[in-house]
Amino acid sequence: MVGEQCAVAMGGRAGSHALSRRWPAPGAAVPAVESPTRERKRVAAPHPDGISVLALWSRATRHGTMRRMDRIRPSGPWLISALTPLILLSAILVELSQRREGDDALPTAVSLTVAAAITVPAIVGLVILRSRPGNRVGGIMLLGPLPIVALFAAETYAQVGLSSGDTLPGQPLAAAIDSALWPGFYIWPLAIALLFPDGRFPSQRWRIPGTIALAAPILLMPLMLFGSEKSQQNLGGADNPLYLSGFRHLEPVFWVVWGCMLAGLFVAAVAVVVRFRRSVGAERLQLKWLAWSAALIPLGLLLCVASYVVVGEVTDVVPIFLLTAGVAVSVSVGIAITRHGLYEIDRIVNRTLVYVCLSVLLAAGFGAIVLGAGVALGRGSVVGTALATLAVAVTFRPLRDRVQRIVDRRFARARYDGLRRMRMFEDALRRGEEEPERVEQVLVEALADPTLALWLRLPHSDARVGVDGRVIDVEREGSRTLTRVVRHGEELGIVAHDPALRERPDLLRSVVEAASLPIEVARLRAEVRMQLIQVEESRERLVQAGDEERRRLERDLHDGAQQRLVGLGIALRRMQRSLPREARVLGPPLDDAVAEVACAIADLRTIAAGLRPPRLDDGLAAALGDLARSAPIHVSVHVDAQDLPAPIEVAAYFTICEALTNAVKHASASSVAVAAVRRDDLLLVSVRDDGVGGAVPRRGSGLSGIADRIGAHGGQLRIESPAGAGTLLEADLPCAS
Amino acid sequence: MRIVIAEDMVLLREGLAGLLEDAGHQVVARVGDAEMLLVAVAEHEPELAIVDVRMPPSFEDEGMVAAASIRAHHPDTAVLVLSQHIETRHAVQLVSGGGGFGYLLKDRVLDVDDFLDAATRVAGGGTALDPAVVATLIAPPVARDPLDELTPREREVLGLMAEGRTNAGIAQRLWLTEKTVETHVRAILRKLGLPTTTEDHRRVLAVLAFLHVQGLVPPAPQG
Repeated sequence: MVGEQCAVAMGGRAGSHALSRRWPAPGAAVPAVESPTRERKRVAAPHPDGISVLALWSRATRHGTMRRMDRIRPSGPWLISALTPLILLSAILVELSQRREGDDALPTAVSLTVAAAITVPAIVGLVILRSRPGNRVGGIMLLGPLPIVALFAAETYAQVGLSSGDTLPGQPLAAAIDSALWPGFYIWPLAIALLFPDGRFPSQRWRIPGTIALAAPILLMPLMLFGSEKSQQNLGGADNPLYLSGFRHLEPVFWVVWGCMLAGLFVAAVAVVVRFRRSVGAERLQLKWLAWSAALIPLGLLLCVASYVVVGEVTDVVPIFLLTAGVAVSVSVGIAITRHGLYEIDRIVNRTLVYVCLSVLLAAGFGAIVLGAGVALGRGSVVGTALATLAVAVTFRPLRDRVQRIVDRRFARARYDGLRRMRMFEDALRRGEEEPERVEQVLVEALADPTLALWLRLPHSDARVGVDGRVIDVEREGSRTLTRVVRHGEELGIVAHDPALRERPDLLRSVVEAASLPIEVARLRAEVRMQLIQVEESRERLVQAGDEERRRLERDLHDGAQQRLVGLGIALRRMQRSLPREARVLGPPLDDAVAEVACAIADLRTIAAGLRPPRLDDGLAAALGDLARSAPIHVSVHVDAQDLPAPIEVAAYFTICEALTNAVKHASASSVAVAAVRRDDLLLVSVRDDGVGGAVPRRGSGLSGIADRIGAHGGQLRIESPAGAGTLLEADLPCAS
Repeated sequence: MRIVIAEDMVLLREGLAGLLEDAGHQVVARVGDAEMLLVAVAEHEPELAIVDVRMPPSFEDEGMVAAASIRAHHPDTAVLVLSQHIETRHAVQLVSGGGGFGYLLKDRVLDVDDFLDAATRVAGGGTALDPAVVATLIAPPVARDPLDELTPREREVLGLMAEGRTNAGIAQRLWLTEKTVETHVRAILRKLGLPTTTEDHRRVLAVLAFLHVQGLVPPAPQG
């Protein structure tokens, strides 16, 4: 089912919760950042199959929406289901009216439970028919209680007739029906055992034994209805008005069918075991639901035995318990098939185990203390009870955690290991032995999902980033299931994981909750890192803008002022050359003027070269060669670097310029060795002088300017300048081209 | 001599044209960009084109590209490129491509006689390379190399050779006799291990090839 979503609200001790759901198919616009309550209010987004994703989601959350009602057309099951409450209502009314007159009637509590045991499967059947119209289990649940209803009504009528003394019309018929309908009790449990959860037999070879098992009780009913001479003793043992003498010859058939029904019970039990053994994923969870509720039935039988041993008779509690187990089976079947809350089964089983053990332990402890105190302080001492109560109150929490851990270790190994892994990580984190960013890896291990990814939500922004600071486009991250991590009402991030983990919400929820503190720390650190990256980027932009500006100025000088001066010089020369012979005296001053213009041009060229040496166009080696030649001290240059990106060349050039200036001006050096060597994606620049040393980069000094320039390109600057031993400046410039 | 001038700055262009006409040359076309330059050269087939390196629209190296195109399509038209600043890459590439080419800084024009001389030399199939460009090529070396063995005088002579000057031109410039210059040239070629030749342009090429081997200038384009 496209876009099917399962919502699991996570309510934790720390008020944290997370929402787990499968991400919709591409194209379905569902925002990632919505809280569950807000999301429900959102206008439904259109979805390819015509039903909005949110509608599907809410359908999974709430049953019986109008939309689903529209889909139901009046049909056989629909009519029967309308009939069921009517039959039931009349049966209950008859039963209640009769109760005042006789002692033999069922107690009200039991009869109400019987009513529930009949109505609940029918309602579950209806729900299944609506949400999974193709699944036969819905029909079985709906029609299954019908024989029971009929039996219930017939029995009540027969008993009323019996106790009222004067025979009601049709009382023997009702008694006969009542006597013959009891195999109907077996039909729906058998059908569920054989056909749950998909409405089909476990496999092809189960068809024949399965069909026989189901047919036997159905066949048995007419055989008994028409084949018994009298009805049961407790219903008066009157003659059966439907008795057909020809059925006497069918007695061997009756016994065969009877045997088949008994064998069928066994077949059904085996079918459930076989199905459970080979089930995986969701089907296994569905069967677990069935097993969990069905396990209540043997528990009820134990209760029956215990009741008999203790009280001496089977009390009303036992049928009530058994009938309630029947109701529980129906509800479990409903949950398993509609899949609403399907994935909670592991947690329910787990908690059932924990609290049963806990109750037994506490009760035993309480009893022991009361008993001990009674022996020590005398019978009836309130001190013993008070002590026991205190002990139970004090030990409840630690004992529960202990039992939980033991149960986890035995029955929920993954959860136990996952939580332990996370706890160890948190301890290591506190000791400073781990980095909070490793929390993603720890989650991968704790949840055993190699595809798992943790996306942090930065404070004051909606951006999602990985633990490495990479920005994540949530919409483009495929079909992984997203679980939000929430702490104190604030979303810390999203865990993207294998959809299969959705089937183990207890594990996922506990581990993610345990990880929320490291996630919070990782998130804050990611924010700081992000801000640092932004600062570095802006510094790089500033330096680039500066270089751009230098280049523009250099252009303006060359193409503007300098050209004008050349033009002026040419004009002067032409004037000079066109002077008449008698004005030749003006020649020398014009020569001087032209020389002055030439000087001005040379000055401009020097200024422009200082802004950005045009020789850099010929490469770093050429520019550094010029620089070395114009230096007043001996400078050796070694360049081994081809195809450098232009900004890196400029950075290296100015770094070396500044270092040379320092060597000449401050270090009184007599010679300098300059090297620029490329090693893969790194340009290594070094300038070593033989001056006085002791250079310190001060704020606003040339050296700190170099540090900024190098830093802007993601490089590093090192300065070694021991007093009296020269200065070594080294810079690494990343230059991936 | 028939000349085409390509220069986007009008003041400079008119000044240049005036200078050349004063000297008795004929300026047949004055254009402001590279495109018009190629049109004018095709139309007038002049003996010399004087070309600014940076011209509209992008002010990068349109003049250089046009110069290369003229050298390729109009071998009879010599090209003299004028630049605002020193750079060796383009200059050496084009000079290495053959005679009839010159590369000068713009302010060299102010030494009118030298400029006119260079223009005439280039138009006659010779070479003119700006002294400042040459200086950057053969300036005191950064590391130890064969140029160290040259005496200061020989280095001066080498520079003038690289500019494309004849022995006579060098002698006149340095106030030496031609014989002395010849001696220096032989010494230079011997010290640098270059073949002795009397033809001026080949001599320039040899010097440039040597400088290229030294890694001081980028390799010349093939052909």
